[in-house]
Amino acid sequence: MIATSHPGLVNGLRSIVGVDRVLSAHSDLLVYECDGFVIEKNCPDVVVFPDSAEDVSQIVKLCNDVGVPFLPRGAGTSLAGGCLPVGGGVMIVLTRMKEIVELNIRDRYAIVQPGVVNVWLTQALKGSGFHYAPDPSSQGACTIGGNVATNSGGPHTLKYGVTVNHVLGVEAVLADGRIVQIGGPSEDPVGLDLVGTIVGSEGTLAIVTKVWVRLTPNPQGYRTMLGIFESVEDATNSITDIIGAGIIPAALEMLDQGILVALEEAFKFGFPLDAEAILLIEVDGLEAGLDQQRDQIVELCNKCNAREVRQAATEAERQKLWKARKQAFGAIGRLSPSYCTQDGVVPRTQLPFMLKRIKEIAEKYDLKVVNVFHAGDGNLHPILLFDERDKSQVERVLSASGEILQQCLDLGGSVTGEHGIGVEKVAFMEKMFTQDDLAAMTRLRIAFNPENQLSPDKMLPTAGACGMESKHIEQKHPGRRAAM
Amino acid sequence: MSTTQSLTITETYQPTNQDELVETVRSCCDSNTPMYPLGGQTSLHYGMASKVEGVGLSTAELNKVIDFPARDMTVTVEAGITMSKLAETLAAERLRLPVDVPQSDVATLGGVVATDFNGPRRYGAGTVRDYVIGISAIDGTGTPFKGGGRVVKNVAGYDFCKLLTGSLGTLGVISQLTLKLNPIPSSFRILSCQPNSLDNAETLLADLVRSTVTPSAVELVTGSHWSTLLSGDADDLHLLVALEGTELETDWMAQQLSQQWRESGIRFIQDLTGDEAKSAWSELVEFPASESPLVVKASVRPSGVTKFIEAVQNTKCSCNIQAHAGNGVVIVSFDEFPAVGLSRMLLGAVQPAALALQGSLVVLSNPSGGEMTHQAAWGGNDIPFELMTSIKQQFDPNNLFNPGRYVYV
Repeated sequence: MIATSHPGLVNGLRSIVGVDRVLSAHSDLLVYECDGFVIEKNCPDVVVFPDSAEDVSQIVKLCNDVGVPFLPRGAGTSLAGGCLPVGGGVMIVLTRMKEIVELNIRDRYAIVQPGVVNVWLTQALKGSGFHYAPDPSSQGACTIGGNVATNSGGPHTLKYGVTVNHVLGVEAVLADGRIVQIGGPSEDPVGLDLVGTIVGSEGTLAIVTKVWVRLTPNPQGYRTMLGIFESVEDATNSITDIIGAGIIPAALEMLDQGILVALEEAFKFGFPLDAEAILLIEVDGLEAGLDQQRDQIVELCNKCNAREVRQAATEAERQKLWKARKQAFGAIGRLSPSYCTQDGVVPRTQLPFMLKRIKEIAEKYDLKVVNVFHAGDGNLHPILLFDERDKSQVERVLSASGEILQQCLDLGGSVTGEHGIGVEKVAFMEKMFTQDDLAAMTRLRIAFNPENQLSPDKMLPTAGACGMESKHIEQKHPGRRAAM
Repeated sequence: MSTTQSLTITETYQPTNQDELVETVRSCCDSNTPMYPLGGQTSLHYGMASKVEGVGLSTAELNKVIDFPARDMTVTVEAGITMSKLAETLAAERLRLPVDVPQSDVATLGGVVATDFNGPRRYGAGTVRDYVIGISAIDGTGTPFKGGGRVVKNVAGYDFCKLLTGSLGTLGVISQLTLKLNPIPSSFRILSCQPNSLDNAETLLADLVRSTVTPSAVELVTGSHWSTLLSGDADDLHLLVALEGTELETDWMAQQLSQQWRESGIRFIQDLTGDEAKSAWSELVEFPASESPLVVKASVRPSGVTKFIEAVQNTKCSCNIQAHAGNGVVIVSFDEFPAVGLSRMLLGAVQPAALALQGSLVVLSNPSGGEMTHQAAWGGNDIPFELMTSIKQQFDPNNLFNPGRYVYV
């Protein structure tokens, strides 16, 4: 135990943040043994709750003096083990730093501390005519600091982009405890794009203590549609036709038959159970252009043999259509005791083939797989259903997951569109990148984090600098996980 | 147009394929020869003047389209493709990279990414870094590496697309890029008016932020260059707002904006469509490349644009100004090299004005190569140059790429 081998550490931390903001009793630490990725667990040795960048800086300096690893954590909603303290050490939980420092509509930015929950910012902006665009499905719980660390997406990324497209600057504590400001309220900061480099670095390059985010004007109006299709292929063809016609929907989500059945049983939306797929399509923007886009979309869906295209005439009807998408994961519990969600990406036009392959892989391993995902950007979330009490099923789920992700790579895609590598997908990095690519990533990490004490053993298979061995994490058990 | 004469180049290599490029970089590394990556050579005056002799590394013949799955709205190309050739290829499928650069028939995509050059459309469409989803480069040890991929959504590994965008070829020579693309809107027009003072311009700009109109570009220009083009006197201000979308959308926005401006007391509004709009747009895009002994770029809070212009005008140096006002980016093209000396003029008046508005100032072009300190070229408050230097040392340990020209300390 680090706490016992470094007796000065806990007292040192207490003198920085106060006695009640340091946890070191085993029972208190259990809460922090994992995040939304529950397969691998390991308790940190100490958990500390700083109030300011100065606190974080002093904590980091103390950890360096004592020689223990440390890592940041927001709300712990990572689905890839981004907040797992692999070798123990000090966990710096940033949820007390939850102030919205400034809202500036004229210059279209907000300054927030990392512990601000994503949806709080949206709420604070209500009535201003502006919003913060990245809206991961966990936005009611996840923090903006965590969003920055993982470069979070969400249903609106197709049109509005991901977190990195909305971050103007950060204040960060570097691995040696220095506090730096990179970027800020003005665009084009001088020199290398350190903001773009830190966003999505999964807490391995710096600990972000303040964020300047870009605010986006609210769209004037919406048109929301639900297309019902006899076949998955017709549905995916509609997707490419819509985008091929030059329409970029604000959201374009697909639900397959498996998930429809569960939704119907749970909520009685009135979906036909023999339809293979439905598409939830929303366009937003200027009222002047929306009816035209809606008509075009309806026509394109009909050309692709849609059985029916429902349209929301009122805001209440729009909310009802969205409810089907948002409650999809809640309905899965009706299908099976456990499930495992993957996060693969393929080029959009490969969706029909990829969905066929997922079906084949499921059949090969005698598993049931349902799909609900961000179809517009080719980001799949196949949900593998199983019973975790059955060892054989567990093994088959792991094999099938691996095969699905490998297929995404074979089609020129990625093993993660928005959940991150964390510890979950470290083994896939060598399949996606060459040794030279990974060596370049390691060198970038060394430039920021030369002692590798900040978030060790994350993201890269050989994360070690200075001859540090990486602790290999073998996935033995698929988790029951929520998804986007 | 700039030429390689501004760099201390003894000879220029022009590899014809990716393997040759790797070989060339390797042999330079072996002989410890400094390398100056060259694209279309339109931005060679950006950065400090080179002092060390080395070789040019031209990507001119690395200009192939590798893969263009139009239905996926992505394209993979070699870095030496010119912006106009790229635009032509994409337009055949009604797609585009919405980044505007001057001299697009010469400027290469690799150069645009290396310099992070962005034009007026950045207000509505973002900057080039928002469109690079995959990148390949060869580092200062002759090792090829890549980041990102070919899909539009991807968070695997560190984002080298961002790290290399704007790195001025100092971490490696960019060899190949994958971009995400946008459809070309069917309708385009420009509305322009003449605010009667900088205060009046700020009022109109602030109104635009809260307006329901969603422009593609918001440009505020002044100076003799513009008065010849847009009529009026040299010290007149012109506000130009570009509108894109379907015809219904641009019609509605034009009507809405005209009404908004009239309510603010603007009497004369120009509504440019068709060739007139195209020609005005071309002037806005080409301006940063116009002949000038000194061009600087300030980046300030959007609300500070008019204050910054005022500070520049107070220096009494004759100049032309273009502000991508919605983004807070102001380009100042001086008519003559400052008599008091460049660093003194910049550090004495212009840079402090940018810093006071929480921004920064960089020199875009100084063709005379006249004296320029690090502080004058890359001025800003508390920029973590040491951290950038640590990164440079990891990717180019012997300082062979563009030595002495970028921000490193």
